[in-house]
Amino acid sequence: MSRPIEQFACVYAQEFPVQALLRLRPELRGGPCAVLEGTPPSQQVCSCNTSALDLGVEHGMTPVELETIPSVIALARSALEEVSTRTALLECIGSFSPSLEELTDDGAFVCVADISGTERLHGQPTSLARALIDRMHVLGVYASVATTGNFHAAVCLARGMPPSDRVGIVPQGQEASALAPLPLRVLGLDPERAETFELWGIKTLGALASLPEEPLIARVGQDGKRLRQLARGTAPHLFVPIEPPFALDEFIELDSPVELLESLLFVLGALLGQLIVRAANRALALAAVTATLALEGGGTHSRTVRPALPSNDKRLWIKLLHMDLEMHPPGAAVLSLRLAAEPGRTAKVQLGLFSPQLPDATRLDVTLARIRAVVGEENVGSPVLNDTHRPGDFTMQPFKVAAQQERQSSVGCVVTPLRQLRPPEDVTVIVREHDLLAFFFRHRRYEVERAFGPWLGSGDWWSSARWGTQSWDVVARHPDGSLICGCLVRDVVQSRWQMAGLYD
Amino acid sequence: MTSRYVELHAASAFSFLEGASQPEDLIERAVELEMPAMALLDRNGVYGSARFHTSAKRNCVRAHVGAEVAVSSLGPRLTPHAWLPHQHIPEHARIPLLCESREGYQNLCQLITRFKLRESAKGEGSAVLDDLREYASGLICLTGGDEGPLASALVSGGEDAGRQIVEQLVNIYGRQSVYVELQRHGEREQEWRNQAALRIACSLHLPVIATNGVRYARAHEREVLDVFTSIRNHINLDRAGRLLSLNSQRHIRPAAQMTQLFRDVPGAIETTADLSERLQFELSDLGYAFPRYPVPDGETMDSFLGKRVAEGVARRYGQKTSDLLERAKKQMEHELKLIAKLGFAGYFLIVWDIVQFCKRNDILIQGRGSAANSAVCYALEITAVDPVGMDLLFERFLSESRGEWPDIDLDLPSEEKREQAIQYVYQRYGVLGAAMTANVICYRGRSAAREVGKALGFDQESLGRLSSLVGHFEWKGPTDTMAHSFQHAGFDLKHPRIAKYLDLCMRIQDLPRHLGQHSGGMVICQGQLNSVVPLERASMPGRTIVQWDKEDCADLGIIKVDLLGLGMMAVLKDCLELIPQHYGERVDLAQLPEDEEVYLTLQKADTVGMFQVESRAQMASLPRNKPDRFYDLVVQVAIIRPGPIVGKMMHPYMRRRQKKEPVSYPHPSLEPVLKRTLGVPLFQEQLLRIAMTVANFSGAEAEELRRAVGMRRSWERMKNLEGKLRAGMTANGIGPKVQETIIENISSFALYGFPESHAASFALLAYASAYFKVKYLAAFTCAILNNQPMGFYMPAVLVKDAQRHGLRVKPIDVQISRWACTIEHESDGALSMRLGLGYAKGLRKRAGDALVVERISRGAFHSAEDLTLRVPGLSRKELTLLARVGAMNSIEGVSHRRDALWQVDRAGRLEGPLLRQQSEWLREDSAGLPLEQMTTSERLVADYAGTGLTVGRHPMHYRRSELRRQHVLSASELRRCRDGEIVRAAGCVIARQRPGTAKGFIFISMEDETGIANVIVTPDLYERQRLVVTRSKFLIAEGPLQNQDGVIHVKAINLIELSDHDLRTSSHDFH
Repeated sequence: MSRPIEQFACVYAQEFPVQALLRLRPELRGGPCAVLEGTPPSQQVCSCNTSALDLGVEHGMTPVELETIPSVIALARSALEEVSTRTALLECIGSFSPSLEELTDDGAFVCVADISGTERLHGQPTSLARALIDRMHVLGVYASVATTGNFHAAVCLARGMPPSDRVGIVPQGQEASALAPLPLRVLGLDPERAETFELWGIKTLGALASLPEEPLIARVGQDGKRLRQLARGTAPHLFVPIEPPFALDEFIELDSPVELLESLLFVLGALLGQLIVRAANRALALAAVTATLALEGGGTHSRTVRPALPSNDKRLWIKLLHMDLEMHPPGAAVLSLRLAAEPGRTAKVQLGLFSPQLPDATRLDVTLARIRAVVGEENVGSPVLNDTHRPGDFTMQPFKVAAQQERQSSVGCVVTPLRQLRPPEDVTVIVREHDLLAFFFRHRRYEVERAFGPWLGSGDWWSSARWGTQSWDVVARHPDGSLICGCLVRDVVQSRWQMAGLYD
Repeated sequence: MTSRYVELHAASAFSFLEGASQPEDLIERAVELEMPAMALLDRNGVYGSARFHTSAKRNCVRAHVGAEVAVSSLGPRLTPHAWLPHQHIPEHARIPLLCESREGYQNLCQLITRFKLRESAKGEGSAVLDDLREYASGLICLTGGDEGPLASALVSGGEDAGRQIVEQLVNIYGRQSVYVELQRHGEREQEWRNQAALRIACSLHLPVIATNGVRYARAHEREVLDVFTSIRNHINLDRAGRLLSLNSQRHIRPAAQMTQLFRDVPGAIETTADLSERLQFELSDLGYAFPRYPVPDGETMDSFLGKRVAEGVARRYGQKTSDLLERAKKQMEHELKLIAKLGFAGYFLIVWDIVQFCKRNDILIQGRGSAANSAVCYALEITAVDPVGMDLLFERFLSESRGEWPDIDLDLPSEEKREQAIQYVYQRYGVLGAAMTANVICYRGRSAAREVGKALGFDQESLGRLSSLVGHFEWKGPTDTMAHSFQHAGFDLKHPRIAKYLDLCMRIQDLPRHLGQHSGGMVICQGQLNSVVPLERASMPGRTIVQWDKEDCADLGIIKVDLLGLGMMAVLKDCLELIPQHYGERVDLAQLPEDEEVYLTLQKADTVGMFQVESRAQMASLPRNKPDRFYDLVVQVAIIRPGPIVGKMMHPYMRRRQKKEPVSYPHPSLEPVLKRTLGVPLFQEQLLRIAMTVANFSGAEAEELRRAVGMRRSWERMKNLEGKLRAGMTANGIGPKVQETIIENISSFALYGFPESHAASFALLAYASAYFKVKYLAAFTCAILNNQPMGFYMPAVLVKDAQRHGLRVKPIDVQISRWACTIEHESDGALSMRLGLGYAKGLRKRAGDALVVERISRGAFHSAEDLTLRVPGLSRKELTLLARVGAMNSIEGVSHRRDALWQVDRAGRLEGPLLRQQSEWLREDSAGLPLEQMTTSERLVADYAGTGLTVGRHPMHYRRSELRRQHVLSASELRRCRDGEIVRAAGCVIARQRPGTAKGFIFISMEDETGIANVIVTPDLYERQRLVVTRSKFLIAEGPLQNQDGVIHVKAINLIELSDHDLRTSSHDFH
C-alpha cells in the first residue's frame, strides 16, 4: 500500500493577546487598541491591532507614552481569555482535522493541522483554508493559513506571508521555491546562529538552502543540516498530535431550580462518583473540588474544598462539600452545577509498627472543616510572625508537622505576660500636655497612676500601608480601688486610642 | 534653666549608607538648635570630619572628632531575637571613640589605619582588643547605642555579660575615660537595656551620658536612611522588614527635649557639656608637618635647594641674554628667600626628586597650574614655561600671607608611566608615608534613579530606560529636570509611589555613596601620614588612600602633589620616539621652532587631534583670533573657557584682535598690565597686577583679593578688601567712575579667570601637538591612535582627518599588523600608517600578542587553518572578528572577507587528531567557496562594528550622488556659500555639545568625506526634535548659513534623520 500524500495546514494568528480580547468585544474592533501587561505602574504594551500600529503604537510602550497617542484604547492582558480563545480555536481547527500540533508562542497563535486525506470531506486545500479562515473570522479571530506537504514549510510560510495574503497554498514539491524569498527570521533562529548567517550574508531561506550541505555541517554542526532542510522545505517532522487536555470537569444542568441543599447532595454524589472513577482510572485521587453553582436570576456561587490529603472517599467528599455549602449557602435557587476537580496523587501512609496511633487524617479534615465553618477560613492554622516592625503583624499558615520541635529560651530578663486584646478595644483617653491622666475602658473610668512611654513605631512610609503608633504601658486605678495594667496605643495615622492588651 | 546639651554621638552620610545627612546639614541643624558643639562619629573612619570641621568653624560651632570603630573581639552587634523573623547579617559591635587631645586623634587615625590595612583588599575591617590597648591614650570611649557592644552583651548574656564588656573597656581606656551611654528612641527593649546600663554604671562608679545616636539631622530624613539600608542590604523596601528603622527618632534633638527625656537620670545631660569641654582637640590642631627631604651632611634643605636652583639657572638661562639671566637670578633670589622663610624647601625638593626620577626613567613630565609662575620650578625643570621671560607673577603661586601650601600639578603620560611614578613615591616615602587622596563618589541623577528605583521595587527594564534618560548634560534647560526625565521614561508622576520615587531621588542627590580614588592626588608625610588621617586600601591593588578628598586635604592644609595622567603627554612622548625612527630627524620638545605653516594651520582651525584647540568652540574662534605667535596661543587656550565667556571678555578681545574696536585701558597706568591682552583682562595674574598697580596692594594682598572674589561666601572679607582697593585707587588719583569699572572688571572675571601660567603650560603642549601634526602627520596620527581614548574626537574622525591630509591609512592585516598602530614606508618613499590589532574590538591583547610573536618567529600564515593551528589562543569569536574586518584578506586562498569567514568557521571547529590524520577526507573544495562578497555598505557596517572606524571611503561618499539630487551640500561646498544663504548639509554626527555657557543651544559637528560642518540647534528646535537631535547618527540639517570671519555654521531650522544602514558609529556627546 502506498503512503498517502502528506498535507499540512498551518494556522497563524498574530498579535494574539489583542485578538483574544477583541473577540468578545466586537464594538472595539474597528478602533485602535493596545494590550498592556505587567502590574501597575510598570505596565507595557505587549500587543496591538493594525489601527493602533498605524497610529505609531509600539510594543514596549508604557501607559504614559500610550496616553500621548489619542484615541488608543488600552486593555489589560487576560490570560484566561487567551486560554479560552485558544481552546475555541483548537476546537475549530479540530473540526477540520483531528490531528493538531500547537506551536503557539507568547505573541502569536500557531497551530498545524495534518489535513492529509481530508479532500473528500473539505475539498481542495484552498477551499479548506478559506473555510478555516471564515470559521475563525466568525469566532472573531483573523488568521492566515498556509498549506504544503511539509510541516515546517507550512509554518515558515504562514509566518512569512504578508498580512494581506490570508491563504498560501504550495503544491507538493514546490516548497523550496516558495520558501526561497522568505527572510531567515521565520525559522526562529537563536541570536548567535542568526548573527553567523548575517555575517555570511545569508538573508533568505533560498540563500541558506543553496549552501553546500557538508561544509555547512562542518561549520555549524548537525543543526546546519536541519536548518538547510527547513530552508528547502524538506525537513522531516514527527507529528505529535495534541491530546485534549485532561480536565476533571463535570457539569449538569438541573431540570428545575433546586433550593434545598439536601436535594442537591444527590446530584452532587453522582457527579463526584464520576469524577472519582475518572481519577481512579488514572491512578489519581481528587485533591480539590470546586463546585460552581449557576443561580436563578444570574450569578454563580463557587466553593472550593481542599482536604489535607487527596482522597477518593466519596462519603468524605460529600461530607466536606455539604459542610462547606452549609457554611456558605448559595443566595438563590440553583440552576446548574459544575464540579471541577484537581487531581492529586493517592495518599499513601506507611504506619510504623510501634509508632503511636495518629488520628485518622480524613477525620481530622472533617474536624478542621467544622472549625473553619465556625471561625472562618483565614483564622485556622498556625500564626507566623512577619518580618516587619508593624505591631501584631502575622499571617496564618496551614498546619504542618514540624521536623523537630525548636525550643527558644530568652536570657536575662523576666517576662511579664501580656494578654493581647484581639481586636484591640477602643478607649477614650484624657491627656494634658503629653501626660496621660485618665481613660475610659469598658465603660469604667480609670485614673492613670503611672505611664511608661511613649513607645514609638512607624513604617511602610513609601506605600499606602503607612502606619504609626505611640504606645504607653499604664498602671491605672478605678475609683473602687481596682487596679488595671495595660497597654494603651494611639494610632497616629487614624488618631485613635485603643487598649491593645492587659498585663497579668 | 537653660539646658546644656551637646550631641556627642552623631553619624553623617559618610558612614556610607548608615547615615542620611551631610556633615554640613548636621552643623546647620546644630546652629538652629543653638547647640554649642557636636561630635561626628562615622563608621570606621573620619571621612566626614574635615567637612564637618570646616562647616562648624564657619558657624562658630565646636566640632569634636571621633569614630565608631568596629571591634571583632567585643562580639557581634545587636540583632533582633532569633525567634523573630529578620534578615540581619552578623556584624561586629562598634565602640564610639572621641578624641580628647591631639594624641588621641593620632591614636584614632593609627588604630583605624592598623585594621584597615590589615585587610588584603578594600574592606571595612575591624580592630581587636590589642589594637585598642595600643592606641588608647587620649581617647574617650562611650559604651555605644544599638550598634555598641554593651547592648548586644546585655541581650545575649544578661547584665553580667554587659558588666564584663564595660569592665573590659575600663581596663583599656581607664575609669576616667569610659562613659556609659544611654539613648532613648522610644523603644521598649532599649529601655530595658538602659536600666541595666544604669545599674552597671552605678556599680562600677562610671559616669552616665545621654546621646541620641544621631543618624540624620531632621526626623523626615529617616526615609533616606531606610532607602540606604535597603540599598546596603540589596533588598527592596517592601521586603526589608526589621532591617529598617522602627521609628524616626535618631535626629538631632533640641536640648530641652533631651533634658525632658532624661529627667529621671540625673547628670546624664550635664555630662555631655562637661565632656564636650574636656574634648580639647579640633582638626585645626592637626599637627601636620610636611616631610623633610633627606640632604647630604653639612647641607640644609635650603642650601641644597639653592644649589639645585643655581644649576638650573645656568642650564635654563645660560645661553640667553645677560639681561634675562640677571632678571632670572634676581627672581630666583626673591623666590628662594620666601621659600626659606616659609619653610617650603622640602616640598620643592620632593617634587624635584619625583621629576628627577621621571627623567632618569625616560618618563615625560611637565608641571602645570600656578607652579609655572615660579622661576624656581622652571629652574628645577618642574615646569617648562619661563616665567621670567614671560613676565609671570610669582605671587599667584606662593605668597607670604596666604598660610597655605603651594600646589604643584605634574602631568605624566597616562597609564603605566604614571603608575611607575606613583609607585616610586610609595616606595620612597613608605606605606604609611604616602597615599592617594580619596574621591567621594556621590549619588547623581542616574545612580540615584537606579538605586532608589530598586529599593522601591521597580523592574530593571523601567529603571534602565529611566537612567538612560536622566540628563548628563552640562547645560540644563527648564525641561531637563528629573521630573521631566521620569515622564519621558513613561512614569506617571500622579501615582503616589512614583511621586515618592522622584522625591527620594532628589533627596539623595549629592549624598556620598562610597569612597573612590582620586586620579592623581598624592599626600606625602614621611612615615607618619597615618597619624594625620587614617589610610585604607583602594580597590586597585598596591594603592592606599587617605579618608579625605583633595578639597578636605586643602582645607586642612595638607600638601599634595598631583600626578595627573595626560594623554597628550603620551602622544608627544611616542612622537619623540617615532620621528627620529621614521623621518630621521631629531626633535627637542623644549626647542621647537616657531613655524609659519603651523600657525597657518591653526588659523584655519584645521585642528582635529591637537591638544586644547580641537573643540568646536576653539575651532570657531581660531579664525578670528588668528594666532601667529606663541603668546596668541596662550590666550587662545585661556579664552575659550566658561570664565571669559561668562565674564564677557571673549568678544571684546576678539573684536580688538580683529581691529574692529580700538584698544583702550580702564586707566593709563594699567597699560603695561593689560597690553598683552589688548586691554581686556583675561588672566588671574592680571587681576593681581591691577590691584598692585592701581591700589598699591602687595603681591600677597592682591592674591588675598583674588581668593576673596573667588569664594562666594566671603562677602565680608570682600567688602573689607574692596574698601581698601577703593582707598588705594583714590590715593592714586583714580576717579570714581574708573574705580567702578575696575572693580566691576575684577569681580566679573576673578570668579572664572584662568591662570596665565596654566594657559602657558597648556599652550606649550598645544603648540607641540600642532607642530607634530603639521610636520610629522604619520607619526602624530600613529601616536594619537595608540593612546586612545583621549581628546575630543573618536578614532574614526582622527583617521578620516589624517586621510584628508594625505596620509594613507591601511587596514588591520594579520600578516603585518602589530598590536599597536605602526608606520610603514611605501615604495615611493612616502610614509603610511597601518592599523594595529588593538583596533579589532574584542580581540584580547594576549591573543593579539601571541599572533604577532608567532608570525615573527615562524613567518607569515599560509591559510586560515594555519593561523588557527599556530595561534591556539585565538578564540573562534576572535577569528571571526578578524575575518569580518578584513584582517585575513591577505592570507593565501582568501579573496574576500566572507571567504575568510567561511574558512575560519571551519578552522574554528577542528576535528580530533585521529581524524585529522586522514586529511584527504576533510579537504574541502576550495574553489567552491559559497559566500558572496560583502557589499560596500556591508563592509562599512563590518568596519564600524569591528573596529569603530573605516580606512575606506567615508560613508557619506557613497551617498553623495543621492544627496546631490536632494541639494545637500558637502562640508567643503558650504565654505563657498554666502552668509545667510539657506543651505542643506548632511553628515555623520561626530560630536554633540550643549555647553553651560550657551543658554541651551546645542552644537552638532557633522563629518563627511570633505571635512567637518557645524550645526547650531536652538533650544526650541531641540524641544521639537529631541530624539532626532540626541539619537541620530546621520543627519540632514537645513537652515541659513552663518559665515562670519570664515567661521561657518548652519543654523538649523529643520533636522532630518538620515537612515544609517545599521552603521554603529559613535560620537562624543555633551562635553
